[in-house]
Amino acid sequence: MVYPGVHKENPAVEKINRTTTGRILLAFLSAALSVFLGAAPAAQSDEDCLACHGDKDLKSETGKRLFVDQAEFQVTIHGQGGLSCVDCHADLRKVADFPHNSPLKPAACKDCHEAAVQQFARSIHQAANERGTSGISIGCKDCHGTHAIKPSDDFDSSTFAINLPATCEKCHLEKVPSKKGAGFIGGYNLSAHFKALEKSGLTMSANCGHCHGAHDIKGVGDPLSSVSRKNIIKTCGTCHVGIQRGYLEGVHGIDYVKGIKDVPVCTDCHSEHNIISPEDINSTVYATKVAQVCANCHDDMALSRQYGFLTSRLRTYNESFHGTAARFGETRVANCASCHGFHDIRASSDPKSSIFKANLPATCGQCHPGASRHFAEGLIHSAPDQVQTAKYGTAHVVKEVYIFIIAAIIAVMVVFIAADFLRRVLRKEKHG
Amino acid sequence: MDSAPLIRDEEIFLRMNLAERVQHWVLISSFLLLILTGLPLFFYDVRFFQLLLPSGQSFYVRGIVHRIAAVVMIANVIAHLLYTALTRRGRDNFKEMLPRWQDVKDAVGLFGYNIGLSRFLNKRGIGAKFFKRHPYWLFERHPLYGRYNFVEKFEYWALGWGTFVMIFSGFFMWNVELSLRFFPLWVHDIFIIVHGYEAILAFLAVIIWHMYNVHLNPEVFPMSKVWLNGKISGKELRLLHPLEYEKILEERRKILSAEAL
Repeated sequence: MVYPGVHKENPAVEKINRTTTGRILLAFLSAALSVFLGAAPAAQSDEDCLACHGDKDLKSETGKRLFVDQAEFQVTIHGQGGLSCVDCHADLRKVADFPHNSPLKPAACKDCHEAAVQQFARSIHQAANERGTSGISIGCKDCHGTHAIKPSDDFDSSTFAINLPATCEKCHLEKVPSKKGAGFIGGYNLSAHFKALEKSGLTMSANCGHCHGAHDIKGVGDPLSSVSRKNIIKTCGTCHVGIQRGYLEGVHGIDYVKGIKDVPVCTDCHSEHNIISPEDINSTVYATKVAQVCANCHDDMALSRQYGFLTSRLRTYNESFHGTAARFGETRVANCASCHGFHDIRASSDPKSSIFKANLPATCGQCHPGASRHFAEGLIHSAPDQVQTAKYGTAHVVKEVYIFIIAAIIAVMVVFIAADFLRRVLRKEKHG
Repeated sequence: MDSAPLIRDEEIFLRMNLAERVQHWVLISSFLLLILTGLPLFFYDVRFFQLLLPSGQSFYVRGIVHRIAAVVMIANVIAHLLYTALTRRGRDNFKEMLPRWQDVKDAVGLFGYNIGLSRFLNKRGIGAKFFKRHPYWLFERHPLYGRYNFVEKFEYWALGWGTFVMIFSGFFMWNVELSLRFFPLWVHDIFIIVHGYEAILAFLAVIIWHMYNVHLNPEVFPMSKVWLNGKISGKELRLLHPLEYEKILEERRKILSAEAL
């Protein structure tokens, strides 16, 4: 079965396994190779190998099973193509003494899968192999398996879209966790992407490979990585085309294109692996939680000074009925996105912006039917020190006056009561 | 001297009749409900209120309860206005409730009496001339009150003013679209501020001023029971409302002398 769309956009996945011509070519090449090698004197036939390795109980000195299931191999693409043992186990081609020395070198995938092996050589996996500090060495077989390798469009392949997360998580759940913490990668298993993949079998839903690539996976800090800040918009945009377009038209996208690093990208708001629907209460962009996400930057003093935007957005929102209600879990009140939009947020000076003065009645009118032009005559985020139109700040003056009056009245009451109470107590002592 | 006093200490007078007590009970319950469902908006960070309203649904119900309590309070205000205008007793009470210059003098007088500074100074001979000419400022005696003293009048009129402000601003907060058809947003913002801070003022005034005067005050501790049974004894009348006591006494004397004639 071939699933159109799977890996289509990912050049890192080898095409040779998938196309019919590729299969024919592979069969031809391996046949030619075996003819050529057959002429060499010390070449081993599969029968020679299976003389020992066909024994189900064959074990090494350390107890490792050495049995090779020929039936299993023969139905694989490599088996059907007629590859013999030594085609891959190249270091045994010229060995005549048996049992041969062990361990063997890794299989020679490169002879056929040159592009993939070259890509792998530039990957973070190979870099880790070379560093050698993790104690783990990773190669082709760790993801693709050994004798029973199946093409990635096969349901049972370890690299089939639905199976790939489990393959990567063999190492990345526990053995090699992310620097961002143990649960960081496992969060993917809670994501909307994984749910679509596992529950609904939507193979076009993002798995590890869609975002990170396959053979040439790079660290997130590497500018060449598909998940670096530089590339993440394009990577998510591979599937979320409309959102990418909207984002690039908004203030964040415009600055992103300019190369400003502080600008939020997809993952800053939606999180990385654990991306879930905004309707899910655990989502970072759930109606009652999105304000906190925006405030990460918009209440940041340093960023506000650097880029010239106003702070106190979260505080002024929280103090409003909208924000207060949201804090108590009411989802039907306006949050940041209700008024500002989300992917294509525009500046209030932009006539296309939902908060452009002339558009405010329409924006507020989404919830307040028949909203009049008066909705625009005031400040929504009204921080006392940021009010430029005097009358718009009247409420703050009223507030100050009230605080003074309340303090004065309560103080007078307390003094009055204290005097009364003390006199009565004193009098009681005198007379009683 | 009469052998039997005209007002015996055990005699029972009706200070609050049933209609007045019902008005007070309805006021207490609607006020408490309004405070309980309104304060969370002001103190949204306080843990108690977050426990009280753990979900969006409970917050929604809070809003409904607040509006119901508001309607009840408004109905109570209307009932009180009708009662005051249409009944004899209501009109009499209202006349007694009108603020007078004497109330200011009483307030100053009580405070001065409680502090006792003037008496202390006079004893030491300081300002003796001034005190001789203006004995009021000596605050030698506790002021004598009529049916309603300055404390009660202050409460009544503060409540009246506060209720008006709360109903007015609350009405426009309830009907945002209507409010913004008449007023610009910055005026609506003032309604919101006023509603919140007036509520705080009312809440503090009640728990400090009213609770002292009807509960903690040693005169009535632990609680004046007038709000429950409406009754006040002849002794209490004589001690707490001496001018009203005198007035009743005077009326009875007149009746008595009329009978004697």
